[in-house]
Formats: sequence, C-alpha cells, structure tokens
Amino acid sequence: MQPNPAAVLTVVALPFLAASVTPLVYRFLENRTSYFAAAVALVTFVLVASMKGKTGEVVFAWIPSMDVALRFYVDGLAILIGFLASGIGVLIFVYSDGYMKNEPGQKKYYTTLLVFMGSMLGVAFAADLIALFVFWELTSISSFILIGHYTEERASRYAARKAMFITVGGGLFMLIGFIILASVTGTYDLVTMLHHPETVRQSLRSAGMLVPVIGLLAVGAAAKSAQVPLHIWLPNAMEAPTPVSTFLHSATMVKAGVYLVGRFRPILLTDEWMLVFAALGLVTMTVTAILAVTATDIKELLAYSTASHLGLIIAGFAFQNAYGAETGAFHILNHGLFKAALFLVAGILAHEAGTRSIDELGGLWRDLPITAAVTVVAGLGMGGIPPFNGFYSKELLFEAAYETAVHLGGAAWLYPAVAVFGSVFTLLYSLRFVMLFFGDKPDGLDHVHRPPMSMVAPPVLLGILAAVVGAAPQLAIDTIGQSVYESVAQGHAHQFTVGLPTEIKPSVLMSTTVIVVGLVTYPFYNQIHDGLNALAELVPPIRVDWWYDRAVFGVNRLSAELADTVQNGLLRTYASWTFIGVTAMTLTGYLATSVTLPSTLPVTLKTPIILVLLVAIVAAVAITVAPSHVAGVLTLSILGFMVAIFYILASAPDLALTQLVVETLSLVIFLLVLDRLPAFYGSIDRFRAIRDGILAVAVGVTVTTTVLLTTKARPSHGIARYFIETSLPLGGGGNIVNVILVDFRGFDTMGEISVIAMAGVSVLTLIALRERGETS
Amino acid sequence: MTTVIFRTVTRLGVPIILLVSVALFLQGHNHPGGGFIAGVLTASGFALIYIAYGLDFLEETVLGREGDVIVDTITHGVVADYRQLFALGLLIAAGTGVVAMALSYPFLSHGFTRIHVFLFEEVELASAVAFDLGVYAVVVGSLLTILSVVGQE
Repeated sequence: MQPNPAAVLTVVALPFLAASVTPLVYRFLENRTSYFAAAVALVTFVLVASMKGKTGEVVFAWIPSMDVALRFYVDGLAILIGFLASGIGVLIFVYSDGYMKNEPGQKKYYTTLLVFMGSMLGVAFAADLIALFVFWELTSISSFILIGHYTEERASRYAARKAMFITVGGGLFMLIGFIILASVTGTYDLVTMLHHPETVRQSLRSAGMLVPVIGLLAVGAAAKSAQVPLHIWLPNAMEAPTPVSTFLHSATMVKAGVYLVGRFRPILLTDEWMLVFAALGLVTMTVTAILAVTATDIKELLAYSTASHLGLIIAGFAFQNAYGAETGAFHILNHGLFKAALFLVAGILAHEAGTRSIDELGGLWRDLPITAAVTVVAGLGMGGIPPFNGFYSKELLFEAAYETAVHLGGAAWLYPAVAVFGSVFTLLYSLRFVMLFFGDKPDGLDHVHRPPMSMVAPPVLLGILAAVVGAAPQLAIDTIGQSVYESVAQGHAHQFTVGLPTEIKPSVLMSTTVIVVGLVTYPFYNQIHDGLNALAELVPPIRVDWWYDRAVFGVNRLSAELADTVQNGLLRTYASWTFIGVTAMTLTGYLATSVTLPSTLPVTLKTPIILVLLVAIVAAVAITVAPSHVAGVLTLSILGFMVAIFYILASAPDLALTQLVVETLSLVIFLLVLDRLPAFYGSIDRFRAIRDGILAVAVGVTVTTTVLLTTKARPSHGIARYFIETSLPLGGGGNIVNVILVDFRGFDTMGEISVIAMAGVSVLTLIALRERGETS
Repeated sequence: MTTVIFRTVTRLGVPIILLVSVALFLQGHNHPGGGFIAGVLTASGFALIYIAYGLDFLEETVLGREGDVIVDTITHGVVADYRQLFALGLLIAAGTGVVAMALSYPFLSHGFTRIHVFLFEEVELASAVAFDLGVYAVVVGSLLTILSVVGQE
C-alpha cells in the first residue's frame, strides 16, 4: 500500500518548521517550551505510526531536467528509525523539562533538538542519495551545536569540535561513495537501486568499484556510529546534557550509520561486504566493550557500550545468512529501548546524586527504587541475560556467526570466537552498571533526592517496553521486527521467530559460556579495570585518542608556525603569491594541452573602440608612474570608465551600466580608505619594481591568452541563439542579460548572493572579533 | 573631504541617486538595469553620505538613535539593520523559488503576465522581479555592512 505523500512530507518538514518558530514560542512559554517540542514530536510519532505497514516511494520533483527530485521511501527499516526518532524524542522533551529547568541556553537547545529530530527523520525516509547526505550532515551539525551546549566549558568545545571533525569527515567519504555509486549506476535514486540490486552489483564489479564503494560507505557509517578506530568522539560527546546524549548519541544519530549499512545491505551484500563489515563490527564490539570496562564515569561507560552494541548490529548486517539480518533488525529496536532508558537513568543519577563517577555511587536502591528497577531490566538486557530483550538479539548474532563459520570454515571461526569474547566484557560492564544500585553506599554520597515525575516517567516507560519485548519477543517481531527484517534482507524474507531456547544449539552453548564466564570473572572486575587502565598508561599509542590529539594539535602548531611565514601581513605578498599561483597553473595547463592561439581576432574592431582602448592603455601606464595615491586611484577609475565606454560601443548596455556603478563605488571606497594612507608613495626599490613588473606582464599574458582561446571555440548550437529567441516569449523580458541572471540561470545568482552575504558576515565577524581583542 | 561644497552636492545628489537606483531596479527586466546594478548604486549613494557627513550622522540625525561603541553598533545600531536586510534578501530570493515549488513547478520557476492599467497601456508583471528584489536587498545589505564596518576603522 502506498504511503500518504502529505504524511511523509509533514513528518520530515514539521520539526524544521517548529524549530523556526521555537524562539518565538520560547518568549511566551519559557521553561514550558519542552511541552511544545514534545507535542510536535508526538504529532510526528503519530504520523509515522499511521504509515506503518505501507511501503512505497513518494516523489516531489525539483529539477526534472536533471532528474533531481526530493524522494522519500517508506518501509520497515525507515519506520523503525522514524519511531525511534520521534518516540524517544517525545520522551526526551518531557525529560528535558525536569533536567534543563533553569539551565542557560534553553532557546538554542530546543530549537536545535527539533532541527535534529527533523534531520534524523529525513535520514530515515530519504530515498535520494543527495537528500540522504544533506540530512546526514544536518544531524552532524545539530549534534555539534548540542554537544557544545555549555559554550563556556573548554571540554565541551573540544568535544564538539572532535565530533564534528570526525562525523563530517566520515560524511565526506560517504558522499564520494555515493557519487561513485551514482555515476556507475546512472541514478541517485535509492529505490531504483533497491529494486534492481543484482544490476547494481554487476555494474559496480565491472567498473571495479565494488570494494571502493563498500569501503567509503563503511568509513561514513563507522564515523557516524563511532566504530573503531573512529570511536573516540563518542565518549567526549558525553559533555552534552544527558537528554542530548540519550537522544543523539545512543538512540538515534549514531543509529544513522547502522541505518546506512542496513539500507545498502540488500544492494551490496557480497563476500567483500561481509569481510569489511564483520571485521569492523566484531572488532568494535570487543574493543569498545573492553574500553567500557575501563570507564570511570557512568556516561563514559554507556558511551562505549553504545559503540559496542552498534558494532554488534553492524556485524549482524555483515553476515550473509538470514540470522544476520534478523540480528540487526531486532537489535536496533532493543538497543534503542534499553540504552535510552539507561542514559536517562544516568541523567537521574547525575542530577540527584550529584556525581557521575562510578566509584562514588552505590547502594542506591533504597533512595531510587523505581530507577533501580528500570536499571535492572535495561542493564540485564544490555548484558544479554535471558529473559531480557537484549538476550534474543545476541542469540541471533551467535547463530549468525556460527552459521557463517560452519559455512566458510578455517579463519571464519574467529567470528564466533570474537563475538563470545566481546560478549563477556559486555556482560561485565552491564553487571557493574546494575550494581551501582546495590551493595554498600559509599561514604561520600550525600542524601539522594527523589527525581521529579517528568524525569522518572520516560525511563519507566522505556523500561516497561523493554520488559515487554523481553517477555514476549515474538510480539515485537510481528509488530515491527518482521518489516524491518524484510527491508534489510537480500532476496526472499521468511517469517522469523525468536524465543527462549528450547533445545541445545551451538548458539545456546555460546550464550551459556558467556554468562558463566562473565559471572565468574565479575568479582575480579576492579582488578581487570585497574589492569587495563595501567596498560593504557604504559603504552599510550594503544589509545586512538593519542593519535587524534597528536594529529590535531600537531597540525595546530604547524599552522601557527606556517602562518607567520605565509601571512606576514603584507598585502603585496598575498597578491603576489595568488597571481604567481594562478598564472603558473594556467600557463602550464595551456602548455600541457598544446593549445594553439588563433591567428585572427574573432571580431573586427572599429575605430572608436580602438581609440577608447588606446586611452585605457595610456591610463594604465599613467597609473604606474602616478606620484600619489589619489592620482593613482583616479587614473585607475579612468581605466574603468574607458572599459565601460568600450562596453557601450560593443552594444552591451547592461554590462556598461554594471561597470559604471561598480567603478564609482570602488572609487568611493578607495577614497574612504585613502584617509589612512600616506599621501605620497615613497621611492621604490628597483629590484622589487622589476620583479613586480615581470609578474604583472605574466598575468597580462595569461589573461590575454585565455580570452583568445575561449573566444576561439565555435559550438554548433550557440547558447546565445537560444537566449535571444526565448528571452521575450518565455522570460517576459527584453533585457536578455537580466533575464539570464534572474530566470534562466537564477540558481547561479542565488549562489552568488549567498557568497555576497557570506562576505558581509565574514567582515562583521572579523571586525567584531578584532574589537573584542580575540585576534592576534 | 567634508567641505561645504561636497556636503551640499551630496544633499542634492543622494535623493536623486536613490530614486534612479529604484528606477533602474524596476526597469531591469526590459531595459538595462536590474537588482545588482540598482543595489550597487544605492550603496554608492549611502557611501556618499558616509564620506560627506560621517558614519554617526546617519544613525543619530536621520534615524535618531544613540550608540557609538563599535561592537555595540555591530550588534545594535544601523549595522544590525544592514545585516537583517541582507538576511531578508536571501530569504526573499529563496522564497520565490519555494513558492514556485508550492505551485508544483520546479524550484525557481518564474512566470509573467501583462495587465492593462489605467494610464499606462500595458504593464508587465514578472515574478522574477521578486527574486531581483531579494538580490537587491542582499547587495545593498552586504555592501553597506562592509562599508560601514570597514569605514569605522
């Protein structure tokens, strides 16, 4: 059944519209803005729910001649991400009411969160590669703003920069992958690719681009989903307020990478795919699980845990059997549920107990009983203990890994081995987190307050959902899981079933091993924790952070040193280098392609034009011998006016008018500036004069050659003919130049005015910075 | 620069300059002119005022506001108005494109019609003029921003 186009467009557009009016709403509602945002999220959630069960494409044409359109595609996977984005969004906004009360910067916070929600929904439903990329980058940008929410904190700014650098960088790799994919398949439309996966694979293989595309997509997904070695931004991102961490960095934004993998799985699932993503997923799962054990802060632990579980999902999507797809499909839901709940719990702990340090928390079940119950359900689900929800998806992963190992043999047995190894650590840190609520209360802990209802209700709701999925997993499968599985499966998708294991299968043995080993080693948690931390101290290059910091700060230092040399404050140096660079490259290009200069000029010059140009040349020479600035500027204006007259004589009145006004304005600006300069030039060094003269001649030669070469071309269908014929009937204007500017090439003009606006903003920022004394 | 002659000429000339620039803007579609040219001309007019009378004149005498600290002026004063002007211009320009989309045409499609008005024989109304208005606003806003901020140096 086709989804309703209006519903799809509203789902994506509404959060953006709401975000644009949020500053206004904030003026009236102040602290209550969270309810406005929650209402918007609720509407979106209901709309997404109304699309459940429908599959299909919705198209809004944009540039039909280039087949560029805003395409949306609705299917199980998209709807699941949509649910997560809007549903958890509602909960986050409600939670923010309690958490962000009386905090600074709320207006920016709610606006950006709404923009983020819209972008995430855009990522979920976009079916056009370029649209997907745009929404992807929007999530990175809103994440940057939200992580750096506490703009005064140095750590926040560092974290925001790090996150942006890595996720946007990864996004660029993904864009290159998209472009290669589009140029090989000939379309940007994802739906076409989903309907003809075999053709896409064939074309990619024959172009030799299958592995590069998979690799590039992997980099993009790895950056967004914090996979090794691009995982370092996620723990730092915990500088953000906890609702942000819950929403972006556990339940939705980081899922974008996983979504990408799932979306492309039916198209690109091949042996190469499996190698790349299985390695990526399983290594991440294990390494970040180990890192989670070394964590000292509850949010840090949860951050690493998120990366680990995302690795699990990616590993699931990597395997080429049905179990793999089932793992990924189910775990997206499970992880979203229990991780969001746990992050909200972490927020409650931070808010009510005043500390986020693991060592300082304990025995809190008496003070926070409801929270403790939620933690038990979610935490044990995270560890993969039956009958909680995480267990089932982990079981599926074990089955998938085992089946692959049996099928391929040899080194493929590493897959299940690594999966088990990683799961042991997962269990360890999950138990540690749950134990925050049990055991003895440390001395330093003061009385812990009860959290307000708006902060308790969301995690409780999530906990209940997680418990329901744990108790009746088949229900979750029939409702959502099956449709998601169908979206990511390659070929025919059967009805899949989950449940508590009823017979001894290899996967059951693997799960049991994990649980037994985990429970046995748990008492030694502190030793393991200390041991790993000591190892990291001893060998700094183990930590990827070490490489990042060295690279970034090294580049900083290098650029500071370079800056003094390259940017020495003399305008003549900048100008010289620019001209040298451009001239050298252009002339080299002409020589390399062995262009021939035309022997005759394309137009015949009449006497008036020749006279005018002669005057211009005289003026140009006069500038070089002008004794003072004012004389020089005025002579320059003469040159400009001569060019304007040339335009008039050459029947280009619009150009002449433009030249005249710009010349006048430049003259006026020069005169404004001249106040500050000395009235007369000093004497000029002979060597410098000769050097500059040679450069000037070189630039002149380059420009002349370029003009001659470009006017040499004689295309068979000149555009000029087309414009002359259609300007009046189609554009309704007699001034062809103007019609070209605003109508035929209006998009270009939009780009130009954006650049002008940017120049204005840059000047403002630079001057304002200078006044505040921030520049050196 | 601020002689009596210059000031008087500015006083006489600037209104004419502004009027001519508006005229150029409106006639741009069929005769030489258009948003960009008109914008630069308007900016020149304002530049003349700045040279002849100084930057504070516009703000204090014409618009009747206070404030002379540079950073202040950037965030409040007339410079803030210039900033809002070019932001508005971008919005208008993009808006014309989006309106076309709302009527299910591709982005940035334009149309035109000819109507008969009382005294004039036939007047052409083109939607591209709205886009041109956006261009005009951006050019005026940015150039004036740059002029006034750099001129304060």
